[in-house]
Amino acid sequence: MWNKKGSHLLIIVEILASFLVLFGVTSLIVYNLQNYQEPIGFEYKNRWALGFDARGQADSTIGDIMQQIKSRVLSYPQVESATVFSSNLPYSMNSSNGNVTNNKATVLAQQFRTDLDMPKTLGVPVLEGRWFDKSDELPDARTLVINAPLKKVLFGDEPALGKKIAFGGADDKRKSTDYFTIVGIVGNFKPRGEYQENLPGLFQMNKGQDRNYTRSMLLNVKPGTDAGFEAKLTRDLGLLTKGWPVEVSYLENQRTNQHNIALVPVIIFLIVSGFLLINVALGLFGVLNVSIAKRRGEIGLRRALGATERRISRQFVGEMWVLATFALVLGLLLAGQFPLLNVFNLKSSVYLTAIGVSVAVIYLLVTLCALLPSRQAATVQPAVALHAE
Amino acid sequence: MIALKNIEKVYRTSTIETLALTNINLTVRAGEFLSIMGPSGCGKSTLLNLMGLLDAPSAGQVEIGGQPVTQYRDVDLARLRNQKIGFIFQSFHLINDLSVLDNVEIPLLYRKGDETGPSRRELARQALEKVGLSNRMKHFPSQLSGGQKQRVAIARAIVGQPAIILADEPTGNLDSAMGNEIMSILQQLNADGSTIVMVTHDESMAKRTHRLVRLFDGAMVGDSVLMLNEER
Repeated sequence: MWNKKGSHLLIIVEILASFLVLFGVTSLIVYNLQNYQEPIGFEYKNRWALGFDARGQADSTIGDIMQQIKSRVLSYPQVESATVFSSNLPYSMNSSNGNVTNNKATVLAQQFRTDLDMPKTLGVPVLEGRWFDKSDELPDARTLVINAPLKKVLFGDEPALGKKIAFGGADDKRKSTDYFTIVGIVGNFKPRGEYQENLPGLFQMNKGQDRNYTRSMLLNVKPGTDAGFEAKLTRDLGLLTKGWPVEVSYLENQRTNQHNIALVPVIIFLIVSGFLLINVALGLFGVLNVSIAKRRGEIGLRRALGATERRISRQFVGEMWVLATFALVLGLLLAGQFPLLNVFNLKSSVYLTAIGVSVAVIYLLVTLCALLPSRQAATVQPAVALHAE
Repeated sequence: MIALKNIEKVYRTSTIETLALTNINLTVRAGEFLSIMGPSGCGKSTLLNLMGLLDAPSAGQVEIGGQPVTQYRDVDLARLRNQKIGFIFQSFHLINDLSVLDNVEIPLLYRKGDETGPSRRELARQALEKVGLSNRMKHFPSQLSGGQKQRVAIARAIVGQPAIILADEPTGNLDSAMGNEIMSILQQLNADGSTIVMVTHDESMAKRTHRLVRLFDGAMVGDSVLMLNEER
């Protein structure tokens, strides 16, 4: 067996290639699964998003008009609550982020602008401190609410309430008035949904000049609210805004779209690698079948000398395991670089889990490919197998 | 030691049925050196395969050491082959990828016992010394002559100290000098207590055994005790 270097090298390369592809797919799957296990941090059922296109409207008036819109939508019995929200709405394709620092650590954080009613509208619990209140609407109030991942990165296990942070890097020059005080901490907030990484984020009060750039709103509507109300709402708001186009979307539908965006590449990659693995399995199966057919005489001899059927099967499976181990050692040298070099900024646990799963799948694949031909060979009568040589 | 009772062996395919052996009744006693002769295709090797539990009879019973083995499971048959029987084949059946020492060690790998790796190798060395090949242990089969290969095969057959040695034309692929050498080794093994059954085409080799069984068309047609020069 061990002198057949050429054919074994081929098998080793085949197994190595399978392992690397499998490692790639599994990393992607593990990454998505780990993200999925983290709650998104808000409610999406019966939540509608309204987007306005304030064409030709003077910027200085938009904030007031948005406030009128909010008052109008709250007057409908179908609407339980409403909140003005920056354009990076949950499940939308928009994003807004920038560096924040506590002068020790600096981290890229998602930034959301909203108002007093966001926790009620999206069902976001405040874990520590408080949400924004009227006092935060005052022009000189410089307050922020951060989410749990941002607290962890900037402060670790230390308390964060009352601490000050600023936008930009740790070494940037800034005045004391550039700092914001943390007044509350919410849990996760994953606006792209279940498959998004649990990223650091912060919420700012929508006030001052910023009000004029905030043209989206989220509604919490009563269960069963239908397209009839949507039509009425659009018509009424069109009259109120004097012709601003309004786009109404349901977060539940948006969520499905985001899931498709996250999962379709994984599924395509999975199908491609599935075919590749099937090809490799068939290749291994074929190589082993030929190898076993060539070694029928040896099988007969070993049976004559006292090997049981099971022992013969085990021998062939064992030989394939040794080849697989050679391939996997090479594969581990390559795959091991990913967690060491922190490739794509993914957690080490993603790569390590993917390595573990891939190794297990490869051994399983090799075992299945080796088991059937070796079992068939082992059940041949020793006299017949010996005659084959 | 070995008893065959009313043995019949039929080879069947979907269209053809070939009677290889019929009504074979034969007992091989402990310490005997028995040879089997007959024309090609008369069933000599089939008979040897049945004695060696390498094949199952279509009818009749095989007994080893007084125990009927026809109903034995694979694992029991494998144990019997490993512990009680040593095989020598005309075409040697050495594994070319393994060294001489590794080839000889194979039967010990399948033996459940106290033998560790080093002790297995020591037993293999001793077996090779017995057949005069201690200086070829690291060689591969392709580096040996026919006679040397057959001596390796004999060492492999005796390494587990089986009570029975079954030899299927052990001198068939060798010239007469080599054949004589192999025959002398077999005679010595028999003198040391091994029971030997040998299939041969060579009358002169058969005459060096104690007893000669003749087959023709799958049936036993003669059974002679040669040392006493007495036909039965």
